[in-house]
Amino acid sequence: MVQLGSRLLKGYRGGHVVIRFALGGCTNRPFYRIVAAHSRRARDGKYLEQLGCLDPLPNAHGERVAGLNLERLRHWLGCGAQLSRPAEKLLGLAGFLPLHPMTVTGAERLRRRRAQEAVAPPTDGSPGDAP
Amino acid sequence: MTGLNLQKVFRPVKKELKPPKYKLMTEAQLEEATRKAIEEAKEKLIMPPVLNEREPIDDVLAEDKFLEGTETTKYVFTDLTYSIPHRERFIVVREPNGILRKATWEERDRMIQIFFPKEGRRVIPPVVFKDEHLVTVFQQDRHEDILNMCIAQFEPDSPDYIRVHHRTYDDIEKHAKYDLLRSTRHFGGMVWYLLNKKKTDGLLIDMIHRDLLDDATSLITLYHMLHPECQSANEAKERKLQGVDLIKIFVKTESQREGYIQLALQAYEEAMATSTAS
Repeated sequence: MVQLGSRLLKGYRGGHVVIRFALGGCTNRPFYRIVAAHSRRARDGKYLEQLGCLDPLPNAHGERVAGLNLERLRHWLGCGAQLSRPAEKLLGLAGFLPLHPMTVTGAERLRRRRAQEAVAPPTDGSPGDAP
Repeated sequence: MTGLNLQKVFRPVKKELKPPKYKLMTEAQLEEATRKAIEEAKEKLIMPPVLNEREPIDDVLAEDKFLEGTETTKYVFTDLTYSIPHRERFIVVREPNGILRKATWEERDRMIQIFFPKEGRRVIPPVVFKDEHLVTVFQQDRHEDILNMCIAQFEPDSPDYIRVHHRTYDDIEKHAKYDLLRSTRHFGGMVWYLLNKKKTDGLLIDMIHRDLLDDATSLITLYHMLHPECQSANEAKERKLQGVDLIKIFVKTESQREGYIQLALQAYEEAMATSTAS
């Protein structure tokens, strides 16, 4: 039908290729596909190529499985694709890219917060115990 | 020595039921068909590789200790490039304590099976391959089936493959069930294992009982090639013995069950004498 055809061949103004996560799966069961797509497309919509996948929930052996097609990834990066922040962090963890600075910052912030919580409850607890 | 028993090699594997096809052939066509069948059977009887156990991998790529505590479970990253062989694939693990290391062999096999599934292989190896269940398999005389399953499931240099094979061969040797593997591709592997362990007596007796003297002589020549420093090898080289004499020298010097083998040899010679006389 002609009405469908023109909708499918949608052209966008501006935009660039991004490598990002497309969410799939079911309720309370996410599954991400690492995908090269136009930035203006829907998150789960038509993509140029699937470059891998990530299962955020741990499996029976306690590991989160991720697959990355490094050859095609290098091809798209060579074509000038940009990366989304979670994709950069994942590739930093994998060792393909250097570690993202936000990963380091996040780790430090978490450690500082945990240190504060470790110090704070004893000081909150003792005045509460004293009548 | 594996023996070429066409009936056993092309024994009907359980498939869908099809009515048998009858062809009308001349003598020449029948010979042609038999020749082709023998060639195909030889291909099916090629021995699977026998390798040493693989070294465990423990190679650390990066240590980032400040990431400790951010995550609770590890990440396993697999390279999904289609055109690289599985042995060279990059499979790395980022542990919760921040270390980026190469994956162990078991993790590698599991990941490769998840992303590039091979027919007949499961992601988690079936429970049959544990020692207590192998005993049940051996009681049912299904050594060949379990060895075929083992070849499909494990890599030839994995410790599980080697362990299952060694257990099977030990059980066959204990109960003298050599004929189960006779016309299969596992026979060569069994003979190699027994030669290395020097437990060839049972096999020799079995061969003599079935009047396979050529096989017995080839077995002993192989033994001499593997262990050239033993006494019988030196004597055989000096006197250049052939056939039954070779077996007799071997029996005198190397074997543990001398009495049995000499009895079997005597029975064979008597049978030969009566058959030539009559």
